Amino acid sequence: MPKTTIDDGLYQRAAAAAEKAGYSNVDELIKTAIENEVKRIGEDLDEQQVADQLRGLGYIE
Amino acid sequence: MPDVSPIVVVSGLPRSGTSLMMQMLAKGGIEPVTDHERQADADNPKGYYEFERVKKIKQDTAWLPDARGKVVKMISQLLFDLPATEHYKVVFMRRDMDEVITSQEKMLVRRGVNPPDPAVIKKAFESHLTKFFAWLPTQSTIDLIEINYNELVLDPIPSAEQIVEFLPMQVDLEQMLTAVDSSLYRNREIENAN
Repeated sequence: MPKTTIDDGLYQRAAAAAEKAGYSNVDELIKTAIENEVKRIGEDLDEQQVADQLRGLGYIE
Repeated sequence: MPDVSPIVVVSGLPRSGTSLMMQMLAKGGIEPVTDHERQADADNPKGYYEFERVKKIKQDTAWLPDARGKVVKMISQLLFDLPATEHYKVVFMRRDMDEVITSQEKMLVRRGVNPPDPAVIKKAFESHLTKFFAWLPTQSTIDLIEINYNELVLDPIPSAEQIVEFLPMQVDLEQMLTAVDSSLYRNREIENAN
């Protein structure tokens, strides 16, 4: 399984946030955060693609 | 007494049959809001029924009160910007996505624009529609009916009856049906295969 590195300060903040928010551990919070961000980026790219297409077709400015 | 009639909005993705629906509703007796700026062409031989100001709906909503009781065409992406100051009855056109993409490709080429990868734009439109239909239930001022273009051109009566039932104003069903011209149903799979 791939591993990534984050600095100690961020890890401590993530661990504290995970506990407050009811995550079972900090790994679960990090996994959820990454999934949400990947989804958001994908949606933004899709919306940009749609906007470019609509502009090309003359339906938006 | 102020006019509190809803604004009828014909929406959907470009090339999903929105112009045909505008023609149907206009024939049925609902006045279209249009400026005739975009002229009929090979992509829409019977005209676009468009109103340029809808493109600036984010900044300009002054025309909306005059559209009460009338019908205006607006692609789905612009519906997110409709203010909650009006009540909208949205006739949302759905069409086979591959046909939509193929038709858009042809239109882009005619406009001198290089079309994107069909798989990429298909995924983007599907994501856009998912987002739109997740947002829709949060909008108390929008009522929406979905009309399938493919079914409409093959057998227009059931869809036309649904629309008459959905809209609060008087609509002439027989006249609506006169607008459906199956010769305009292009980009079918059978044609694409040839």
